[in-house]
Amino acid sequence: MSNKTISVKTPDGQIKIGRGNDLVLIAGPCAIESRDHSMRMGELIARVCAKLGVLWIFKACYDKDCRSSPSSFHGLGIDDGLRILGDVRSEIGVPVTSDFSDPSWGEATGEVCDMVQIPAYLCRQTSMLRAAAVTGKPVHLKKGQFMSPWNMKNSCRKLEAFGNDQILLTDRGTFFGYNMLVNDMRCFPIMQETGHPVCYDATHSIQLPTSMGNISGGQREFIPHLTRAAAACGIEALFMEVHDDPPNAMSDANTVLDIQYLEVVLAQAKAMHDMRQELRAKWGEDNVHPE
Amino acid sequence: MSTQSDKSHTVADVMLTMNACPLADERTILKEVLEAMDKHRLGVVCIVDQDMHLTGILTEGDVRRKLLRVQKPLAALLADDVITHAVKSPISITADVQLMDALDLMGEKKIWDLPVVDADMKVVGLLHLHQAIRGVLQSKTGND
Repeated sequence: MSNKTISVKTPDGQIKIGRGNDLVLIAGPCAIESRDHSMRMGELIARVCAKLGVLWIFKACYDKDCRSSPSSFHGLGIDDGLRILGDVRSEIGVPVTSDFSDPSWGEATGEVCDMVQIPAYLCRQTSMLRAAAVTGKPVHLKKGQFMSPWNMKNSCRKLEAFGNDQILLTDRGTFFGYNMLVNDMRCFPIMQETGHPVCYDATHSIQLPTSMGNISGGQREFIPHLTRAAAACGIEALFMEVHDDPPNAMSDANTVLDIQYLEVVLAQAKAMHDMRQELRAKWGEDNVHPE
Repeated sequence: MSTQSDKSHTVADVMLTMNACPLADERTILKEVLEAMDKHRLGVVCIVDQDMHLTGILTEGDVRRKLLRVQKPLAALLADDVITHAVKSPISITADVQLMDALDLMGEKKIWDLPVVDADMKVVGLLHLHQAIRGVLQSKTGND
């Protein structure tokens, strides 16, 4: 197993995500709600990250294709959405990312975004993986809630076959019966067997999928506990959707983290990550009872 | 130790040639490697790089030992890269070696198969115990 590092281009350099590097935050509102809101969220996140010394990537989606209800907010669309992401990038000076849900959107997404994201539900779709790979940008690949961590190796093999080995693998929970997710912390070392860095999605992991009839619920109170656990287990990046007014968030209102708590959660994640780095330096890799 | 009667028989005379030899690259998943073994009706696969250099070997015995030891779900094991479970730097032999000497080596190491390589460590065939014994018996009876 090699330990690969991915490089995400920033307006003035690059961010490295991988073994031995600092914890990187990927954060933003679930959906791009408006230009003003995106800018405001970007500024608020930037302030926290500057205070804590954390490098970060702004994430917001222009099209939410996995909503439970036909009447739910679907997003601003690719043209307006990517324009806003481009503005966030240039005005706040931060790399940006969005997922895309249709292979034909890959090229445009890759032209604006510094990293492209594949939604969990689509994580094994060959056409999606091909479209993401050929952008040439690092690919943030979320483990489907229905997927075992070892079967994510197949999705990585597809991306690599299409010429892209800049891959970040994220756990966002695994179905535990109906309308319930759990986090199996073994996901991280198992997905690390691919050699690619891993990430924890702290806000989708506490989701209760479609538990509220035609929308998803969530148990946000567990975000700190699970985030600390994931950082202690071993991750290279942390993903969180944040909002300044969660009850009125236009997407994932029941799972987004209130921005007022970002500092306390991120500070603890960073501390756990730094401690893990120290422990690794002292004790070496977690390599007891190798196969 | 070679004998007078089998001097004319070398590994090259009886080895399985490339189209009969199960091969896999390092990142072939274990499930496909087992299928290759089954297709060739052999309990071994030679692991090669893109230039056909021998980088490892996996036998049914290796898989059996893994099944008894690793305790991981079968679905996870089957999805692993074969090199994860292969024996790296395996014993190999060249095609010009006398058959009896090859058999001595197989007996000494308690193995059924020997990858056959050229001077550059590229795989050129596989010596399987059955063919090796048949070759020796034929040489002793003069029944080539």
